[in-house]
Amino acid sequence: MIRRRALVLAAALGAPLLVAGAALGQGDAPAPDPRLAAAANQLALAHVVTGDEAVDRTAAEGLAGLSLALAMRTTVEPGPPVAVALDVDDLSLLTFLYWPVTDTQPQPSPQAYVRLNRFLRAGGVILFDTRDGDVAGLGAPDGTAALRRLAAPLDVPPLAPVPQDHVLTRSFYLLEDFPGRWVGNPLWAEAPANPAGDPAGGGFRRLNDGVSPVLIGANAWAEAWAVDDRGLPVYAVGRGYDGERQREMALRFGINLVMYVLTGNYKSDQVHVPALLDRLGRESEGRP
Amino acid sequence: MTALAFDPLLPWAAVAAVAVVALAVAALAWGRGLRGWAWRALAGLALAAALAGPVLDSGIRRALSDIVILIEDASASQTLPGRADQARGAADALAASVAALPGTELRRIPLGDDPDGTLLGAALTRALAAEPEGRVAGVIAVTDGRAHDPRAIPATAPAPVHVVLTGQPGDWDRRLVIDEAPAFGLIGQPVILRLRVEDQGAVPPAVAGRAATLRLSIDGAEEQVLSVPPGVPLDVPVTPAHAGQNVVAARIDPPAADPAQLTALNDAAVIQIQGVRDRLRVLLVSGEPHAGERTWRNLLKSDTNVDLVHFTILRPPDKMDGVPLDELALIAFPTEALFQDRIKDFDLIIFDRYRIRGILPADYLDNIRRYVEDGGALLVASGPEMAGVESLHLSPLGPVLPGRPTGRMLDEAFRPTLTDAGRRHPVTAGLPGAGDDRAGTPGWGRWLRMGEIIPDADAEVLMSGAADLPLLVVNRVGKGRVALLTSDQVWLWDRGFEGGGPQLELLRRVAHWSMKEPELEEESLSAQVAVDQTVTVTRHTMGDSAGPVTVTGPDGAARALPLADEGDGRFAATFVAEAPGLYRLVDGDLTRLVAVATAAPREFEETVADARVLDLLVRATGGSVSRLSDGVPAVRTVRAGRPATGRGVAGSWIGITPRGAQAVEGTTRRPLMPGWAWLALIAALALAAWLVEGGRLGGRPARQGSRAGRRAQ
Repeated sequence: MIRRRALVLAAALGAPLLVAGAALGQGDAPAPDPRLAAAANQLALAHVVTGDEAVDRTAAEGLAGLSLALAMRTTVEPGPPVAVALDVDDLSLLTFLYWPVTDTQPQPSPQAYVRLNRFLRAGGVILFDTRDGDVAGLGAPDGTAALRRLAAPLDVPPLAPVPQDHVLTRSFYLLEDFPGRWVGNPLWAEAPANPAGDPAGGGFRRLNDGVSPVLIGANAWAEAWAVDDRGLPVYAVGRGYDGERQREMALRFGINLVMYVLTGNYKSDQVHVPALLDRLGRESEGRP
Repeated sequence: MTALAFDPLLPWAAVAAVAVVALAVAALAWGRGLRGWAWRALAGLALAAALAGPVLDSGIRRALSDIVILIEDASASQTLPGRADQARGAADALAASVAALPGTELRRIPLGDDPDGTLLGAALTRALAAEPEGRVAGVIAVTDGRAHDPRAIPATAPAPVHVVLTGQPGDWDRRLVIDEAPAFGLIGQPVILRLRVEDQGAVPPAVAGRAATLRLSIDGAEEQVLSVPPGVPLDVPVTPAHAGQNVVAARIDPPAADPAQLTALNDAAVIQIQGVRDRLRVLLVSGEPHAGERTWRNLLKSDTNVDLVHFTILRPPDKMDGVPLDELALIAFPTEALFQDRIKDFDLIIFDRYRIRGILPADYLDNIRRYVEDGGALLVASGPEMAGVESLHLSPLGPVLPGRPTGRMLDEAFRPTLTDAGRRHPVTAGLPGAGDDRAGTPGWGRWLRMGEIIPDADAEVLMSGAADLPLLVVNRVGKGRVALLTSDQVWLWDRGFEGGGPQLELLRRVAHWSMKEPELEEESLSAQVAVDQTVTVTRHTMGDSAGPVTVTGPDGAARALPLADEGDGRFAATFVAEAPGLYRLVDGDLTRLVAVATAAPREFEETVADARVLDLLVRATGGSVSRLSDGVPAVRTVRAGRPATGRGVAGSWIGITPRGAQAVEGTTRRPLMPGWAWLALIAALALAAWLVEGGRLGGRPARQGSRAGRRAQ
């Protein structure tokens, strides 16, 4: 404020514009959005504002529930979830974006897609959730027209259902399925590298420690994770004990997902650690 | 060349018409029985021939001289004692001898040094190509026969090729041959040098078969003395002790014999072995999963030479959720194996946002401290935990960390900048985007928080952040090195926030500096040798002045070389190495050995004169090989195909084959007969016909003639 007033004063006194320009050049760029800066510092989970109030509220509650579970069970202690307006906000301070797909969401601007693609290339991860349990039974990642419309301008690599040995199934908990409020629908991620091809894999695999930039599913995870202010579940999941087990599994999936986003292929590399340590020992014995 | 041509006075049709008419008249005359019909026909044809204008074309020819090519090898190997005069004298004598032959020209081709050795083959090919093939009568090469381009020697030549070898029959030489020398070697692992001592020429019996004394030293250290019999390959294990150039100097003692060997220049060799690390073992310990963890992983996994052992604390011991172990994918942190048993095997340990949670007992942290002091490398990137009670600084590791946290976290955006020391330090100097001018702030993206520390007095602050507080601090502890990054937000550069920054390059350099990569040493002394024996000495220092550097030459004479300041801690100077050999550069604790080769190293590999590489060409052209020590041969002319060498009364001779080449310089055109002669010929023939018909020629009676003749009477 003081600087701005000084500028106004300088201009009012008829000081040459150059002075103002120099002052601006020396001063720092505008401070980053405090919300996003806090998200960067505290590793907050973020969700896309779709414009549908109920969906947005559920997304926020879902991420709050997941953050709570993470803080209670793991070393990751995220800050409060952040709502991201794609047309306005800078995504480079974020790591993970939950994007509930609605029919009514207006198409983001081209600039927003430029930011989104940069976000994906730089290591960000987006989870698309069509929230419909794939009722249409299409079994394809672009099952809904809305998702097709929203994701079309993104640099999405070839996708495949997450295989049983994917690091997502063992990045914290051992999982066989990725339930949310619905169960049994596949989760889609970047297709595994062609075994005959480049062993390092191309595209995102090389850039981001093998982390798929885009995950697509239909299990309405936010609804399973959602808790209210008192920490109580907002939505009913399943029925009785099985339902609570399903909610637990949904939370475990969420925790695995965040671990996957943060640590990449750490867990699949860990398989090699005993062998590596063993080799270290052997070589050191062989050394003079 | 003379040829008959026609230059008709009238068009060919008219000439043909005259001939046809003449033949027709003759036929008519024959039919009528005229006795002179043949003469008439001849007269008519003579007229036609006269009209056709026969002329004689003849060329003017000139005999061409023969060319003798004389190649004079003046390469460095010909500078051995006595050879230069010998070669020059022989060339002059041969030139005089050739000049004495009539109609013979001489082309003297001097052959100098090339970095690739003596390019005799190329010189031969070029000289032959430059002369007309039909005139080359002979090629004489005065050389020691040590051509280094045997493939370029032509297969044949249009005239005899004579090789006149320099040198003496008693020439001999002992040399050191490096058969195998690896350019790279793993540090601490022996590499094999395969070398042998070779005797060439007429080795005096006092030396023949006797072992040579070989002296080997690495980086100017104490010599290793070996006894090597000539001709036997010897494998010598050599261990590169450090990263970068390891200079191995090998030489054999000059053999004591009379006559002395030709040269001692090929008795020594300098082998440079680049010491490289075996796979780098890096231990990365992340205190918690966070946004920057994959930045570290991307850095360490992009280098295929790194064996990464990574542990992340996914669940602290104080958080339990009652999930049975068989549903968890967690493994125990093998702390004992890592920090007790195997800690010495790691080249670098990185703590990334690690907080003391009771996972690592104090003993293990003390092990890490000892590991650093014994020469290990430690990198700490700390987040907010540094300011708290769980800080690594408050653990037994604290004393080796290059700063003390004040407990304050600055939650504000700041742009990392290089300090004055950072602009000089190889870790941060010239980072992409750092800005070339001193006042310019780097065009990097901002970070959003950092911890405040008070750096140790002897630590170097390379980068500063908010309010110019230290951001990147490095220090040496004991034999090891420690680097501390007081912010965990280097990942914002990775993510491209506000354009990002060179996070991979920065982290890579910090990591490699802490592992003592020679290229990133603050205090370094390096030398580059140019082709013209100029040695450029570069000294890099964090201090304000450097030098002079003491240069000790191969003769043991030392001199001081003052250095000129080139800015940003670089000082440089050049000197010209007068003699080949090892030069030792010393500035304070820094020592650098630099090997200066001879200007033409290949020239002195083999020095005893030998025409073996030219043998095929000599035989294909019917030439000869002779030795100057037997006297300069005379030059004679011989016919092609005859023996082109021999021994006469006055000594041996070599032959050149004159080619008898001629040049046509012009042509002349003369009429076959002048006009009056034609006229006389035609008139004579016509007269003859008339006389024959009149019966007055030949004395033959008219009645003996034909029927036509009778009728005419």
